[in-house]
Amino acid sequence: MTTEQWSQLSSDAFNAALFAYIGAMLVSFAYLAFRKERLHTAATAIGIIGLLANGVSIITRAIAAGRTPWGNMYEYSSLLTFLMVLGYLWIVEARARVRTVGGFVYALAVFTMAMAVSFFYVGPAALMPALNSYWRQIHVTSMIVASSLLGIGCLLTIVYLVKLSSERRSTARLAAQVPPPIMGASVDTSDPSSPPDYAGAGDEPVGNVEQDRRIGLPPSATLDALAYRFIRFGFPVWTFGVICGAIWAQQTWGRYWGWDPKETWSFITWVIFAGYLHARATAGWKGVRAAAVALVGFVSLLITYYAVNLWIGQLHTYAT
Amino acid sequence: MSSSDVPGARLRRSVALVWRTLRSMRTAVILLLMLAAASVVGGTIFPQLPNSAPRVARFMVDHPFWGKALQAAGFFDVFGSWWFALITALLFVSLVACLIPRSRAMIRTARQRPIQARELESFPSYAERRVAASPPEAAGKAASVLRRKRYRVELDERGGAVAAEKGALREVGSLVFHWAFLLLLVAVIFGKGTGYVGHATIVEGSGWTDARLNYDGQLRTGRFFDGGFSGTQITLEDFNDAYRDTGQPMDYRSTLDLANADGSVTRTAEVRINHPVMFNGIRIFQYGYGWAAMVRVAEGNEVLFDGPVILGQDTPKGENPLAQPWIGTVKLPTLRPQVGIALEVFPDAEAYFRSIQTGVPQPMTQDNAPFIDYQVWEGKLVDNSLTGLDTRFMRLTSSGLLGQGWTVNLERGCVVTGTTGALPGALSSVTCPHASGPGVLTMSFPELRQYTTLQISRDASVPYVLGAAILIVLGLLPALYVSRRKVWVRARADGMATILQVGGFSLQRKDRFDEEFAGLVAAVSDAAGPVLDHATEEARAR
Repeated sequence: MTTEQWSQLSSDAFNAALFAYIGAMLVSFAYLAFRKERLHTAATAIGIIGLLANGVSIITRAIAAGRTPWGNMYEYSSLLTFLMVLGYLWIVEARARVRTVGGFVYALAVFTMAMAVSFFYVGPAALMPALNSYWRQIHVTSMIVASSLLGIGCLLTIVYLVKLSSERRSTARLAAQVPPPIMGASVDTSDPSSPPDYAGAGDEPVGNVEQDRRIGLPPSATLDALAYRFIRFGFPVWTFGVICGAIWAQQTWGRYWGWDPKETWSFITWVIFAGYLHARATAGWKGVRAAAVALVGFVSLLITYYAVNLWIGQLHTYAT
Repeated sequence: MSSSDVPGARLRRSVALVWRTLRSMRTAVILLLMLAAASVVGGTIFPQLPNSAPRVARFMVDHPFWGKALQAAGFFDVFGSWWFALITALLFVSLVACLIPRSRAMIRTARQRPIQARELESFPSYAERRVAASPPEAAGKAASVLRRKRYRVELDERGGAVAAEKGALREVGSLVFHWAFLLLLVAVIFGKGTGYVGHATIVEGSGWTDARLNYDGQLRTGRFFDGGFSGTQITLEDFNDAYRDTGQPMDYRSTLDLANADGSVTRTAEVRINHPVMFNGIRIFQYGYGWAAMVRVAEGNEVLFDGPVILGQDTPKGENPLAQPWIGTVKLPTLRPQVGIALEVFPDAEAYFRSIQTGVPQPMTQDNAPFIDYQVWEGKLVDNSLTGLDTRFMRLTSSGLLGQGWTVNLERGCVVTGTTGALPGALSSVTCPHASGPGVLTMSFPELRQYTTLQISRDASVPYVLGAAILIVLGLLPALYVSRRKVWVRARADGMATILQVGGFSLQRKDRFDEEFAGLVAAVSDAAGPVLDHATEEARAR
């Protein structure tokens, strides 16, 4: 096969993966809404098809370009999506047996791939000389692995916050349930916040049942533990990746650190996730506040990944 | 008189309060987030002088008041500003304040033996087994099982008690990580503070000496730099650039002759991208390259300018820079009126000609019948830069083409000597073979050379920074993954048999500990000869 054919195959597989992920996302959300076992099986199957197509796209891209397939933002995005979906299917679904958050992960995968096609597409080609370094390979690989782990971790943190607030609402609702009026008083049925008519039965956990039917997410503690697991794994990898980047920068530009925007933002992201890990060990910061720090970290991660290349520029722009 | 009325006591209390505040984890988290916020300002919101001085200059022109105010507050050099230093220093103090007591405590714990416990039933994990061995024997067996599992074990054989703990590496890792982070900060500040970075432009065949003046302003020195440049002498023997068939750059390499200040140590070296050379305490990196036109300008027989003109590029966005001409200027400030000659150099006439014919820009990567498109301006020179020519106070007097080996008359823009046939047909030039003589301004172009731009830096702390970075990663892994566990075993006689009690807990990763604990209980009771009637114990263990 010629380079063009490999390149075409890579693009086709990329599109197939994108559509599969869109499908997996929709079916996963449907599973979350209707809780039919068949939907979950279908979502996982479509997700695996997408993962395979994604893998084919990466490998054929490597053949077309004649080098490791992580030389520009388009290729990073493809690999990042692959690792996120792989990490989700393997760790979250297969090992932690949490099934209901798939839609969110596929949504992030679809977003990453769509951004890659719309803003970063370039044909397969050789790299400029500054990129010919094995430190680059290690640096880029670690950064992508770390991004996928931190990305999933932050996503789970968002789901955790959603679940936590719904749990708190239902607890508050339970607490607010006063004994039903016996005489003289009445329940104002026009007020939507007033308890439904069957709320009178005090022993029935209204809030929890209703909420379980509405959002079938795992308990917040499970989500929190899972999110922590991903971020705890991602943080050292990110640290290692930044250090390898510094070694490469020392070799190439003669300075290991120069506060170039991408460097600065990778540092900011590092500091924020360091803050998250510390916050989890700090009284009064556990739970919601630590989760908020992780969310700030997520925004920082997205800026590090996208904004620097799209708008800010400088040294790392050659990667686009 | 109570102690609170004594001023010394009050002061001591405030100091203690400040110290306690600095030591707290909350302060550390807040300082970390402040550091991130400050970096956002420096990384994104305002342009920074060290990285993008032109954008700062534009900002100053567009917003004079805010520009001045922001500059005074250090917003254009955030990472060199006093408040960034303050946050770093506070973080530093907070770290030290937290690390010293923790390190002391760690050393204390390392010296202590595990302490025995009573009432093992009250621990989160607990199990009982009946075993055949006598209490001292059972305790001894349990101790050796735990030792094999790499627990630190304290055995009280007569009392039939064992205390064991594991996972001290977590705290060690955490401390290594934090101390290494401190070391990194110190090494970075020391290295950048006492070192310098600059760019040296050297034309093929010429030399350069590492001294302040030779950097032409392309130099940044650290705050504590002592002014001692290495005096290294660098001669560029050859510069080589290689391209793929597609015109993409593949490699740049500078072949250098290096000598220290007094010439006692010499060596040749090849500097390539990603392959720097260390010599005489400085690091030399391949940074950039370009063409230099060797040009001679004379007024009659008097030579006004003779030497290389360093050429640069001003490529429009989206164009291939290799297909663009290289630009430079020759400035003659001593003439009245002053003269500036703007040069546009085309290194490869053939490629350029093909570009015109095909309409597709062709990269000019080779020295192949080069020619110069020049413009002569007269008036007042106001631009001090090396490559730019500000023509606001000048008028164009002549222009023309200058091929390699030719001499042109700059006043009339015609060729005095040189075969215009060497240029492709589309480019023609007017000849005037008899137009040279005394007082006539002429320019000749004997050859085109390449120049290399090397980055020269001295940073004594690079090995320490690397060492600290390695320690950071090495410390981080146990700090995040090792869990601290404690296990106790007590054996007491119960008729002919022995009852073995096992209790313990884990401070981290509790889900994993349940599994490990069950395994430990099984191993300990197996070692002491289990008695298989423990249905009740099973029930109790649950």
